[in-house]
Amino acid sequence: MFIFVINFMENSIDRHKSEKLYVQLYEILRKKIESADWVVGSQIPVEEELCKTYEVSKATVRLAILELVRQGYLIRQQGKGTFVCKRIIPEGLSMSTSFKELMLDAGIDFSTEVLAQTVMMPTDDLDVKLNVSEDQHIIYIKRLFSVDKEPILLQEAFIPRDVCPSLLEEDVANDSLFELFEKKHGIKITKVKDYLLITHLTADEGLFLGLPEGSSAILLEQHFFSGDTHIMYMRSIKQPGRFRFYIEFDRKAS
Amino acid sequence: MSNGKTVKDVMIDVFEFPHIPYWFSIKQAIGITKKALLTSDKCLHPLIMLVFDEKYNLVGTLTLKDIIGGLEPKYLKATTKAQVPKEDESGLALLWDTLFDSEAKQAAERPVSEAMAPTKIFLKPDDPLTKAAYLMIHNDLILLPVLEDKKKFVGLVRMIEIFNEVSDAIFKG
Repeated sequence: MFIFVINFMENSIDRHKSEKLYVQLYEILRKKIESADWVVGSQIPVEEELCKTYEVSKATVRLAILELVRQGYLIRQQGKGTFVCKRIIPEGLSMSTSFKELMLDAGIDFSTEVLAQTVMMPTDDLDVKLNVSEDQHIIYIKRLFSVDKEPILLQEAFIPRDVCPSLLEEDVANDSLFELFEKKHGIKITKVKDYLLITHLTADEGLFLGLPEGSSAILLEQHFFSGDTHIMYMRSIKQPGRFRFYIEFDRKAS
Repeated sequence: MSNGKTVKDVMIDVFEFPHIPYWFSIKQAIGITKKALLTSDKCLHPLIMLVFDEKYNLVGTLTLKDIIGGLEPKYLKATTKAQVPKEDESGLALLWDTLFDSEAKQAAERPVSEAMAPTKIFLKPDDPLTKAAYLMIHNDLILLPVLEDKKKFVGLVRMIEIFNEVSDAIFKG
């Protein structure tokens, strides 16, 4: 997977720059989308036209478009063309990413509504999931994340109260749980286990996400550890079509 | 009992009691109760569960009596308009028992908010114990929550704490 480092602002290709041409073109086209010069749903110009406009080869245009598709800015429709699509939030499965960081990285404004910040006992199999005793109090935090007033992520976090009792009084609307754990309370997250599956929304979940009951959605279940201690179980239901997961592998040199 | 002690001198930690949110089902509450009864060191009699809202405000308490009452078929619940004559009570109990099997499972799916006793009376940490005793006796309560600055839930006073203070006054005083 390509990782771009973009550090120029021009709207035209500069052949004297060290950056590859397709990287420059990617950045120009990305800005067109982000500034709504190319609006969501519109078809982008055909390859020949882009070649002509930016005075580059077809290969350069293809590489730039390919990366825009990969980054979730464009979508290709067989036999119809390439269209600007709703910004998809790329979500790495890297353990260090939080929703807030991903949003900030992607330059997307979002809002957070705290639906619950309370305490409960572990029911069903929550005690097994968190590896705690049945009489352990659990801090329960439920939040709804929205972009442009559209709800896109419903998240429930279950934290054994013993791990961080003051979490009950923290400002979880503005601070990410990871920041609170690591920066404020010195609880280092050392391991995350992610399970990604398709779920069908309950009536309650559908209500929050603005989707009918039974709709398919992405469910990300995460188990967070600090050393050997299981510090949090998180359940995130994501609006389909608004997230794209990627896994980046680095091959170790032999 | 006017020994100068206040509520904060005898109140116990809220985390000695199971916590549940109001949207939990009666069935989930039963599960938690069964577990709490098995865990003797955490089982402080009378067994009671504290019911909270989304913002961790105490909204009610749930006892075994509330749970069983919550499973009662709705049409058999006593009303002020139709008092049941005493001689009919045994027959009604039989009917109630029969219906328990068929309807209990369905009733157990109802939220605990429909079965709990809403919390309306609170104590302040600096209140005298006499006030706690008075409120318990005159409102038929077995415990009272303690709120700091009218908002923060900081503890509970049970009937047993009052009893202990009374017995100390009688035997030692």
